[in-house]
Amino acid sequence: MSLNRRGFLGLTSGLAVVTLAGCGSNATSASSTPRTGGRLRAAFAGGGAKEVLDPHLANLFVEAARSKAMFDKLADLGGDVSPQPRLAEKWEPNADLTRWRITLREAVFHDGRPVRAQDVLASYARILDPNRAFRAKSSLALIDLPNSRAVDDRTVEFALKRPFAEFPNALAAFGAYIVPEGAEDFTKPIGSGAFSFVSFEPGRSVLLKRNPAYWEGAPLLDELEFVIANEESARTNALLGGQVEYAHDLTPTTARSHASGDRMTIHRSPNSAVQAFAMKVDRPPFDNRDLREALFLLADRPQLVESVLAGSGQVGNDLFGKGYQHYADLPQRQRDLDRAKFLIRKAGAEGLVVKLDTSTAAAGMVEAATVFADQAKGSGLTIEVVQGNKDSYWADTLKNGSLSSFRSGAMPIETHVAQRLLSGSGTNVTKWARPEFDALYEKAVSTSDATARTRAYQEMQRVLHTEGGYLMWGFADWIVGAKPNVGGISTAPANTLDWARFDKVWLG
Amino acid sequence: MKRVGIGGLLIVVPLALALLGPLFVPEELTRSAPFMPLGLLGTDFVGRDTWHQVLAGGQTVVLVALLATALSYVVGVPYGVVAATARLRLVDEVLMRPLDVLLAVPSLLVLILVAAITGQGLVVLVGIVTLVNFPDVARLSRATALEIAGRPALEAMRMQGESWWQTSIVYTGRSMLRTLAADLGVRLTAALYLVASASFLGVGVPPDAADWAVMVDRNRGGLFLQPWAVVVPALLIISLSIGLNLVFDRALRKVRT
Amino acid sequence: MSLASYAARRATLGLMQVLAVVTLVFFLVEALPGDAAVALAGDSPDPARIAQIRAAMGLDRPALERFADWLTGLPRLDFGESLVSGRPVAQFLSAGIGPTVVLAVLTLLLLLPISVLVGVLAALREGSLLDRALTSVSVALHSIPEFALAVVLIAVFGVQLGWLPPTAVGADVLAEPAVLVLPLVVLLARPICSISRLVRAGMVDALASDYVRHARRLGIGETWVRFAHALPNALAPAVQQVARTTDWLLGGVIVVEAVFVIPGLGTVLVDAVAARDLPVVQGLAVVFAVTTVAVNLLADLVGFRLAPRAEVVV
Repeated sequence: MSLNRRGFLGLTSGLAVVTLAGCGSNATSASSTPRTGGRLRAAFAGGGAKEVLDPHLANLFVEAARSKAMFDKLADLGGDVSPQPRLAEKWEPNADLTRWRITLREAVFHDGRPVRAQDVLASYARILDPNRAFRAKSSLALIDLPNSRAVDDRTVEFALKRPFAEFPNALAAFGAYIVPEGAEDFTKPIGSGAFSFVSFEPGRSVLLKRNPAYWEGAPLLDELEFVIANEESARTNALLGGQVEYAHDLTPTTARSHASGDRMTIHRSPNSAVQAFAMKVDRPPFDNRDLREALFLLADRPQLVESVLAGSGQVGNDLFGKGYQHYADLPQRQRDLDRAKFLIRKAGAEGLVVKLDTSTAAAGMVEAATVFADQAKGSGLTIEVVQGNKDSYWADTLKNGSLSSFRSGAMPIETHVAQRLLSGSGTNVTKWARPEFDALYEKAVSTSDATARTRAYQEMQRVLHTEGGYLMWGFADWIVGAKPNVGGISTAPANTLDWARFDKVWLG
Repeated sequence: MKRVGIGGLLIVVPLALALLGPLFVPEELTRSAPFMPLGLLGTDFVGRDTWHQVLAGGQTVVLVALLATALSYVVGVPYGVVAATARLRLVDEVLMRPLDVLLAVPSLLVLILVAAITGQGLVVLVGIVTLVNFPDVARLSRATALEIAGRPALEAMRMQGESWWQTSIVYTGRSMLRTLAADLGVRLTAALYLVASASFLGVGVPPDAADWAVMVDRNRGGLFLQPWAVVVPALLIISLSIGLNLVFDRALRKVRT
Repeated sequence: MSLASYAARRATLGLMQVLAVVTLVFFLVEALPGDAAVALAGDSPDPARIAQIRAAMGLDRPALERFADWLTGLPRLDFGESLVSGRPVAQFLSAGIGPTVVLAVLTLLLLLPISVLVGVLAALREGSLLDRALTSVSVALHSIPEFALAVVLIAVFGVQLGWLPPTAVGADVLAEPAVLVLPLVVLLARPICSISRLVRAGMVDALASDYVRHARRLGIGETWVRFAHALPNALAPAVQQVARTTDWLLGGVIVVEAVFVIPGLGTVLVDAVAARDLPVVQGLAVVFAVTTVAVNLLADLVGFRLAPRAEVVV
């Protein structure tokens, strides 16, 4: 998911208690009983020129939220970031996991046409078009489209190029929405989602209205309007001034400033974004395993969480996906300066100066880099923070340097591995390319034995935890502000189904 | 005398803090949660002691503003004077037309673009502020020099056979002083403003540098929690600007009378 | 030199200025690290995907060829299409120009009377407490960046007191003028200082000049001397400065638009630069350059009328 400005500023660790209390938004008295009606205005950061209504091109948070309101995927991610059936009522693989039969729910598009197997195949064919570059393409690439078929109007049979147990993850991929067959013009988009399209002003607002025929039950709101406010302070002020009812992506400082007032309620989604440093294991100095471990031990994670995330998050254990399905609960790594010094000496890296590439591409990264550089003082290793251009940062750090700031939104652990940790992965920042690790992944995704799969995931994570290239020091909460009379806001991690989902939201 | 007192005081406090402050910053910086009421002025947006940041953060703002202003005069004044006093009209045209082109370039657009290309660094910031200021200085110098060159006194000097040095540099220079000094106060203020805005625009300085201007930008999120982290550095910048302008005004009045 | 030939010379110069600006901007944007494909790929910079996006955008063609293509469309007022969204650039410009023009015009309309008033007041009481107070306040406002002033004004008047809308989110700028009050105050704060100081200095000089002394000796009333003789001379440099202000205003507008959520050209510019959407940046550069040139030309013509000597300040 594209990164919008997000300031991880302010807020104390003492507020962790408030964090938990704040999660139960349904407990607020004014919003306790669901009601129908009204227009909810939701403020998001936007992309101006980049904004589109084509759900397959969705890239920004606001586009993801809008796509979700107007369209459905076959599956989507639940609170533990595991795939949950949506337009697909159920899925059944064959014995060797190469053919998947998917039964569709009875659903209709906004123009009254039913959602058919042909629409599903056409949507995926559009995403997989070799001449285009849709985001979901890499996730769906293993579908053997010519050999897939529509069994009947409500049954699709997908042929895969290789056995794949985690196929439902692909169905839930970012942007893998089902559009009507032949849809190319999205100036007046038609989907099967809970809200239907009314009007669009690029960079300004999108107005949607209730879809009474939604398969999961009509939404409570009459209308839903997405408005664009790029500055976090502007979203907060608009909410305080009564100009919107929902403000997406606020800072911990804002949360702390207004938590006690009666003008806004704060909703927090834990484990939404991982914060990390990425070491490239294919080049000096971090091709040395001892040096990687030394860095793991240098990080004072509680301090990073306290000052960079303002306490609004949890410490990480160098593994992706805390609290997600298949997450390996290994013993928490602590700072150990003496052992780190010893390892640095052992690696012959005493007096070495390492450049840490960072940028403001995601807020909090530069701050984390300077805090970490401070923590490394006195260890024998000097970390020098270098700030790069924010717009090309991710592409730059994929190729260059040896140590860089990293941050990622929620996705299934399998997807994280597939996209970033295999020899052939497209975005392998740490350059982690090991045949035996690839084989372990192959084993996990090609077996139908759930215990064997779990074991393989545990093993992969154990290896990464011991000598991987990611120093994942924390998980940030996602913070949303709303008027106190808004009910039904979920606190599932960002990027999952229930995040920024408005069909269950009501105005009290 | 009282006036010097006010203006002088307004300059001395921020200037002393900027130049001597760094000496009083402890070697080991403490870090805790952001915007907590710890220490003299609380903590800042990444949990550092705001007072230490105030002590450490004046140097860059003041030096960059002073340096950039000085540079734009060092380059701009001779540039303008040469253009004005050149015997060949062509020299004037060659020197001044490019500036006309520069004038039509939205300076902020250039600022954003140039900063993105050249990257971070105080040198870049000094360069950009100079670049934005220099054409104005050059035009002003040229206009003033032209006006002075037309004065009867100068023509009389020329007819008496005074050297080019005497007429162009000594007399013209002295006569220009007043106009340039009047301009200087505002231009310094404008340089301070540009430096202060740089952080908001993501130009020049790292987002967590110890720098008054950066502090104003990055701590504004905590305005309701720890206003000092914004108010103190902002007041220091303002006080310096007002002080400079009051002192220049007074000096001007003295020059005239 | 007659006014007509002066105007003709300036118009030619203006055309060259605009061409120079668009060329400069093109190469500056080309020199930026990363291109539209890299910016669009964002945090999933799979090289294969970036190459595909690049081909789809036509970025694999040489830069000069693309620039030439774009230039040939310019005389027909064809600004090309956005690389990222495929919508015509003209659409972006027309969508953003409304709010920005409203802000800029209102600012300029309010700016001159207010700063002349302040400047004249200060000049007539030169050295007095009033003079120093006016100077201090305007200098203080001059040194505060817009974002800082905006933050304070919003916190006080928008949030705490609730007198004015804190942002313009979702509002039609013309239908709800209240949303413009705070942005205008922020935009006015700085130029009032620079212009009123110029008026003040000009007025002080004029009042001490020979011809004003002469006018007084002739027994002309003091008010008449001040406003009919001294003020016009003091205004010439101020008008020049107003022209310079339009350029600066653009910068202020970027900040003000971001803080108050006004979807104008400044917002479009920042987004387009971040996305490396070259045709959109180019289109904006044309609009900005033409405006700056036109306003400067106008100011010089006015200056030419007010005091023909002003030609030297071209």
